[in-house]
Amino acid sequence: MNQHQVAFINDKAHEMREGETILSFIRRHHGEGYVPTLCDNPLLEPFGSCRLCSVEVARPGNGALKTVAACHTPVAEGMHIFTDTEAIRRLRHNIVELILTDHPLDCLTCEANGRCELQQVAARVGIREVRYPAGRNHLGRPKDESHPYLRSDLSKCINCYQCVRACDEVQGEFVLSMAGRGFDNHIIKGLDTSFANSYCVSCGACAQACPTAAISDIFQPAARSATETVRTVCTYCGVGCNLEVAKHDNTILSISAPEDAEVNHGHTCVKGRYAFRFYNHPDRLRSPMIRRNGQLEAVSWDEAYDYIAERLTAIRAEYGPGAIAGISSSRCTNEENYLMQKFMRAVIGTNNIDGCARVCHAPTALGMQRTFGTGAATNSIGDLQFTDCILVIGANPTTGHPVTGAKIKQQAMKGKTLIVVDPRRTELARHATYHLQLRPGTNVALLNMMIYYILKEKLEDRGFIEERTEGFEELRRNIMALDLDAMEAVCGVGRELVREAAVAYATAPNAMSFHGLGVTEHYQGTFAVMQIAALAMLTGNIGRRGVGVNPLRGQNNVQGAADMGVQPNLGPGYLDIRNPEMRQTYEAVYGVSLPSEPGYTIPGMFEAAAEGKLKALWIMGEDVVQTEPNTDKVRHALQQLDLFILQELFYSETASYADVILPAASFFEKSGTFTNGERRIQRVNRVAPPLPGTKADGEIITDIMNRMGYPQLTYDPATLLEEISQVAPAFRGVRWERLGRNGLQWPVAEDGTDTQILHTETFKLGKGRLFYIDYQESRELEKYGEEYPLILTTNRGLEHYNSGSMTRRTQDTDIVGEDLLLINPEDARSRGIEDGDKVTLSSARGAVSIRAKITDVVRPGVLSTTFHFPEILVNQITSDVLDSEADCPEYKVVAVEVEVRLREGIP
Amino acid sequence: MSRNLTSLSARKGLSENLFERIGELSEKEGAPSEEGLRQLAEEFLMGPANLYGAASFYDFTRPENKDIKVYACSGSACLLAGTQPALKARLGAFFREEEIGQVCCLGRCHENAAFHYQGRNYSGQDAGKLQDIVDGRHTGGQDQYEARAHGRSLLTRDFPSLDNCRHTLAGILARGPEAALSEAILSGLRGRGGAGFPMAVKMKSCREAPGAEKFVVCNADEGDPGAFSDRYLLEQQPYSVLMGMLLAGYITGAESGVLYIRAEYPEAIVRIGQAIAELEWQGMAGADILGSGFSFRFKAIKARGAYICGEETALLASIEGQRPEVRVRPPYPTQEGLFGKPTLVSNVETLACLYHILRDGGAAFAKIGAKPSAGTKLLSLDSSFARPGVCEVEMGTPLATLVDELGGGFRHPVKALHIGGPLGGLVPVGMIPELTIDFESFARHGFLLGHASVVGIPEGYPMIAYLEHLFEFAAHESCGKCFPCRLGSVRGKELLQKARAGECAISEALFEDLLDTLEKGSLCGLGGGLPLPVRNALQYFQEELKPYFSQTQIAVQ
Ligand SMILES: Cc1cc2nc3c(=O)[nH]c(=O)nc-3n(C[C@H](O)[C@H](O)[C@H](O)COP(=O)(O)O)c2cc1C
Ligand code: SF4
Ligand code: SF4
Ligand code: SF4
Ligand code: SF4
Ligand code: FES
Repeated sequence: MNQHQVAFINDKAHEMREGETILSFIRRHHGEGYVPTLCDNPLLEPFGSCRLCSVEVARPGNGALKTVAACHTPVAEGMHIFTDTEAIRRLRHNIVELILTDHPLDCLTCEANGRCELQQVAARVGIREVRYPAGRNHLGRPKDESHPYLRSDLSKCINCYQCVRACDEVQGEFVLSMAGRGFDNHIIKGLDTSFANSYCVSCGACAQACPTAAISDIFQPAARSATETVRTVCTYCGVGCNLEVAKHDNTILSISAPEDAEVNHGHTCVKGRYAFRFYNHPDRLRSPMIRRNGQLEAVSWDEAYDYIAERLTAIRAEYGPGAIAGISSSRCTNEENYLMQKFMRAVIGTNNIDGCARVCHAPTALGMQRTFGTGAATNSIGDLQFTDCILVIGANPTTGHPVTGAKIKQQAMKGKTLIVVDPRRTELARHATYHLQLRPGTNVALLNMMIYYILKEKLEDRGFIEERTEGFEELRRNIMALDLDAMEAVCGVGRELVREAAVAYATAPNAMSFHGLGVTEHYQGTFAVMQIAALAMLTGNIGRRGVGVNPLRGQNNVQGAADMGVQPNLGPGYLDIRNPEMRQTYEAVYGVSLPSEPGYTIPGMFEAAAEGKLKALWIMGEDVVQTEPNTDKVRHALQQLDLFILQELFYSETASYADVILPAASFFEKSGTFTNGERRIQRVNRVAPPLPGTKADGEIITDIMNRMGYPQLTYDPATLLEEISQVAPAFRGVRWERLGRNGLQWPVAEDGTDTQILHTETFKLGKGRLFYIDYQESRELEKYGEEYPLILTTNRGLEHYNSGSMTRRTQDTDIVGEDLLLINPEDARSRGIEDGDKVTLSSARGAVSIRAKITDVVRPGVLSTTFHFPEILVNQITSDVLDSEADCPEYKVVAVEVEVRLREGIP
Repeated sequence: MSRNLTSLSARKGLSENLFERIGELSEKEGAPSEEGLRQLAEEFLMGPANLYGAASFYDFTRPENKDIKVYACSGSACLLAGTQPALKARLGAFFREEEIGQVCCLGRCHENAAFHYQGRNYSGQDAGKLQDIVDGRHTGGQDQYEARAHGRSLLTRDFPSLDNCRHTLAGILARGPEAALSEAILSGLRGRGGAGFPMAVKMKSCREAPGAEKFVVCNADEGDPGAFSDRYLLEQQPYSVLMGMLLAGYITGAESGVLYIRAEYPEAIVRIGQAIAELEWQGMAGADILGSGFSFRFKAIKARGAYICGEETALLASIEGQRPEVRVRPPYPTQEGLFGKPTLVSNVETLACLYHILRDGGAAFAKIGAKPSAGTKLLSLDSSFARPGVCEVEMGTPLATLVDELGGGFRHPVKALHIGGPLGGLVPVGMIPELTIDFESFARHGFLLGHASVVGIPEGYPMIAYLEHLFEFAAHESCGKCFPCRLGSVRGKELLQKARAGECAISEALFEDLLDTLEKGSLCGLGGGLPLPVRNALQYFQEELKPYFSQTQIAVQ
C-alpha cells in the first residue's frame, strides 16, 4: 500500500493515480455528486467552461490556497484539496446566480423539470433570489420543432458546449457549433438553420448530453415519469449497443445510451435510440391466422398449434423429413435460434435449417473457417484505439453500423491511416487516406493487386508466414504472375493508388481490417474474405491488439445465429453434422438420433420448393419476398409449398403467401442473448411482456416442439444457455448470471474467462491457410452486361433496417420516406435524367420505378439504392447469381439500365 | 478546442491555411457567403457550422459587421483623449450610421482620433482629410512618434546591417542549439507579453517535447488598448523580431515560424512581409540557412479582429481556423500547440530580446536591470504625456523617471495611470514615486506591469465611466467560453451603466461577489484580470465612487 501516491480531499488522504484530474480523483473516492458540474461529461474531453467544479488547493511546499477548476487540473502528489470551503460555496453560488440572470425561470412548466442538471445544481448551492437587475438575455430565441425526434429551445441554453462537443467528439458530425462572441454566443445548427435542414444524423448524442431542456428529444420529457429502467441490447445491427430503456407500466418512454457500456460508451444511432415505436404499433399482428379457402382467419393459439403439428406430421410421413425446412432469424435471440435448429434437427429430423446470415455473412463464416478455422471476428471494436491503420472493405459503417462507424471516423479524423475500398464515396471514404473506388464485383482483383505489391516490395512478415501459415509459395508464384494491366482495367483503380494503400497497410505496426456485405454479397464473396484473411496473415496482422479481420455483422445476431447452428451443415458450436462423433455430442443432449446429410441453404430451399421437393417451410421473422433477390422466383417457390408457416411482427410482403401466420413478439418483449460482431454475448432483458395475443418466438417454438411430442422445457434463457454450453465448445463457461452488464466474448472457458483476441498463439486449424484465388467476372455481367451497361449495387440507409418492417413504423420515415436511386451526374446527363425524376430501372428480371438522386457518391457507370420500402421492391430486379462457395446472393452487382419515366410537373 | 478540428485543419496546415481561407472569403463582401462556407467545409471535411462559428467571432468577418465601412477606435487612449465624438461626427458626414463600426485600439494612442478605413489606419489630423481619404487621394501612412531609451538600449537602437546580422547568425548556428539555449537560460529573460514567464523554460520544454514537427508562433496580436510597442518593433525593428523567431526555432527544433499579426496593424503586416522576403533573398531564412543544415520558414498571418486572440491558446485555435476560445491547460502549447504539435508561443518583444541575448551573450542581458526582472523593457506612452511614444528602460528604472524625464510630464492633469492594458493595474498618480519598472515592484504594490502600456486618466474623467469602459471592453472581447466572464462582464457593465445613469446604486456585496467570481472563476486572464483595475479604483478613488454604491441591497427602480 505504501507505494501508492496520495493526495488529500478535505484533509483525508486518498490514493491517487498519475495523470488523473482532481475531479476524477474526487469522484472516484466520493462519487458523482460530490462536486457539482455543468460542463463536464465523462464521454468528452475536459472543457472547463462552467467553473462550478472549482475547488481550493494547496500544493505541497506552498501553503497558499488557490482556486482551480477540478475538471481539468491534474492532481499532484501531496496536494490538499478542499471541496466545500466558504469561499468555494460562495463562488459556486455566484456562478449559478449569474447563469440564472439569463435563463427563463419557468422550471415547473419546463420539459426538463426533474431531470435538469441546472435545477439540481441551483438547489444545491441554494439560490434564493437573483440579485442582478434584468438585463440583456437570450430568452427570445425561437424553438426548433422541425425534426421528428430532436427539439431545441435555446432560450434555455447555458452555453456549456456539451452538445457541440458530443456532436464532434462522439458522433463526429459537426452539425453544431457555437457562434458569435462573448455574451452573444449561441448554439447553431449548420449555417444557423434547423435540425431538419442540417446534416444532423439524429444520433441524439447532443440531446443526451444537454444538461437542460435546450436540446432534447421528444421522448425525454416523458421519461421523467419512468418507474423503472431496463438495460437491453439493440436489435438493429451487429454493433450490439446497450440501451437503457425507461418505462412505465410496460410502456416504453424513452431510450438512452448507458455510459458504462463497453460496446457503445454512451452512444447509439438514430435507430437504437429513437426507432422503438414500432413495438406497440397498431399494425402488430395480434392473433394467429390460418388460411382457409384463400382467406386468412384468426384462430386461437391452440388451433394454430394443432394445425401446424398435424400438417407437419403428415408431410413428414408422406414425403420424409427432408421435405420440411426452417429459416431462422438473426433478429431473434441465441436461445431462439438454438431452439429453431433443434426443432428441425431433433423433432423433424432434417438439417434443412438456415438463416438470414445466408444472405449476408455466410461467406465470411466460410472464408474465415477455411483460412483460420474460426468464422468470427478476430478482434474487438475497442482495438480501434490501438491500431495504426484501418482498412474498410465493402462496408459503409457510418450508416450500416453507425456506432462503430462513428468510432472509425473519430480515428480517421485524428489522422490515423484509413483505407476504404468501396465503389461509393461513403462518409468514411471522404475521410480516407486512400479511397480505392473500384468497379463493383472486383474485390478479388483488387485484393490480389494489394497482395502483389506487398510481395513485390518485400513487405511480407516472413517470420509469421513461416511459423504460422501454409500455402505461401504457391500463392506467391501465382500472384507474381498476375497480369497487372488486366487487373487494373478490371477494377478501375490506378495501380499506384493500390500500391500506396498496400504499402500503408503492410508497413503499419498494427493494421486492422473491417469488411461488410460489399465483400460477401458477391459471386466471389467467400474468396474475397479469404483474400482479406491472406492480407492479414501475410503482414502478420493477427493475434494481438489492434489487428485482425473483423467482419461487420449485418443484423444484430448474425454471429449468434451461426454460433447456434443455424446452418445446414454445422450444428451449434460449428460441429460438423456429417461427423458421427460430433453428431454424438448433440444426440447425447437431445436424446434422439440426428440426420447426417447436410440440408438446404435458403436459395436451395427455394429451388427445392419450385421443383416440388420441399413441401413445408417455417420462416421465423424474415420477409423473403422483399429481401431475397429475384422476387418473382421467390414468390413462385412459396406458391408451390403445401404448408408455409410464417412467424412475424407485421403483415409483410411474404405474409400474403403464408398458410399459417403466428404473431411473434419483438426484442423488447423477450429475454435472451444476442452475440454481436465481436463475439460478445450480451443479455437481452425483457422490457415489457408480449403484447396481448402475441408470443415470444422462443415460446412459440417450445410450444410446437411439445405439441409434436418432444419434451422441451419452458423457454428460459438461463436454462437454455446451460444446455448450449454443453454442446457448443466456445460457450463452455457461458452462464446467464455471468454475462453481467457488458457480456462475455466467446470462447468462454469453463471458469468464465472470455476472449478478446483470437488466434494469439495458433489457429484453430493449426496453421493458417493461404490460397491463391483467380479473379472471375460475375456471370451477371458476362450475360447481361452488354444489354444493361450500368451496375446497380444495393445497400442500407442509416434510418431504416433492411425490409423496414420495424423502422418504417416509426418517425424515421419522416426523415427518409422512400428508396432513392443514386446516379452519377455524368450518367444522368447522358440519359436526360434530372434530380428527382421518377425513372425506370430495369434488369434482365424486370423493372421497377424509383426516384433518382444525382450525386457523385457513385462513380459513373454505377448506381446504388436501398431496399427498405415495399413500394419499390428493388429485389424484383436483383440477380440470382450466388456466391460460388456459400450460396450468398450477389446483391451488389446487378446489370441494369435506367430511363426517365416521369418528371414532376410534366404529365 | 476540438482535437478533431485541429487535426483536420492540420492536413492543410499553413500552406492552405483554413483561417486565412475564411478571411479571404470575407474580404469581398465583409462576411463569408453561405456557399463559400459550405465549399470550404467540404474541402476541410468539417461542418459548415464550424466555419460559420469561427467567422462570426471576429470583428472583421462576422456577418453583423458586413456593412461596416469605417471603424473608429474605441480603445482606452482615444476614449480618454476625448477625440472620438468629434471624429464620429466627421465620419457621419461621409458614412451612414450603420457603416461606422468600432475597433478596439489601432495602436495610434500617441495621437488618437484613430480610425480604420479600407485596410488602412488613420489618426491625428487625418480626420480633417476625410474627403481626400474617401476619394483615395490620401492613404494615411506612417504616423510619427518617438522611440527613446533610458540607459542601455537594445531594442530601440538602430538595427545593424543585415551583413552584420548574418555574421552574428552564422556564429550562433556554429555553436549549436544547446549553447544557444544555455545563453537564453543565463539571460533570465521573462516573457514580455504580460505574464513574465521565463522564456528559456518554455523553449526547453518545447525542445524536449517529442515530435518531428514543431512551431514557433510570434504573438503579434498586441491587443491591449494603449500599447503599441510591439507595433513599433514589427514596423521599425522587424529583423530583430524575425531573427528572434528563427533562433527560437533553432533552439526548440521548429522549422516553421508563424507571426500572428493583428489586422489593426496593416503597416506592420506589410513591413514584416518585406522583411521576410529580404531574409529569404539573403539566404537567412528558408532551407539550409547559411549552410548550417537548419531550415526555417516564416509565415505571416493577418488576424481578423478579436482581442482574445492575444491569449496564446485562443491564438493557436484561431490559426487553425477554429473559434478562438481559450483552451484548458494542460496540455500546454509546448506539448500540444499549433495543429497539435509542440509550439513555442512568445511575444514580439520577447523574441526580439532573444536575438540580442544570443548576439551579446546571456550574461550581458542578465546584468541589465533588476533581478529577477532582467534586461530592458519597452513602454508605450499615450497622448496624455507631453512626449508620447515608445520608451525603452532598464528594468528597475523608477516609474517617476519614465513619467517625468522620458514622457516629459503630463500634457494635462492626470489622476491615475492605467498601466499594462485594460487588465493591468490603475496606478493613482500619488503612487508613481513608489514604483520601479519591473514585475516585482508592480506586483508587490498590487499592480501589474503586464505589457507596459501607459494610459493617463485625466483628472476630469469620471472613474465610474472608466470602470464602465473596462467592463464594456471585457464584455466586448470576452470569448464567452467560461460562465463567469461571459455573464459577469455584461452584468458588471449593466450595473455600472445603471448606477451612472442614476437608475440605481450598486450593492457593494453584489459587486464584490461579482469581482470575486470573475477573479477566482474565470478560465483565463481576461475575466480573471478585470477585477484588478476595478479594485484599484475602488481603493484609491473610493470617495469619487462612493455615490454609486450602496451598502444595502440594490434598489432597483
Ligand atoms: C486576455 C489575454 C490577452 C493577451 N494578449 C496578449 C497579447 O496581445 N500579446 C501577447 O504577446 N501576449 C498576450 N497574452 C499573453 C499570452 O497568452 C502569452 O502568455 C504570451 O504570448 C506568451 O509570450 P511571452 O512569454 O513572450 O510573454 C494575453 C493573455 C491573455 C490572458
Ligand atoms: S443528433 Fe447527433 S448528429 Fe445531430 S446534432 Fe445532435 S449530436 Fe449532432
Ligand atoms: S444546448 Fe444544452 S448542451 Fe448545448 S450548450 Fe446549451 S445547455 Fe449546453
Ligand atoms: S443500430 Fe447498431 S449502431 Fe445503431 S444503436 Fe443499434 S446496435 Fe447501435
Ligand atoms: S475569462 Fe473570458 S475570455 Fe477568458 S476564457 Fe473565460 S470567457 Fe473567455
Ligand atoms: S466541470 Fe469544470 S469547469 Fe465545468
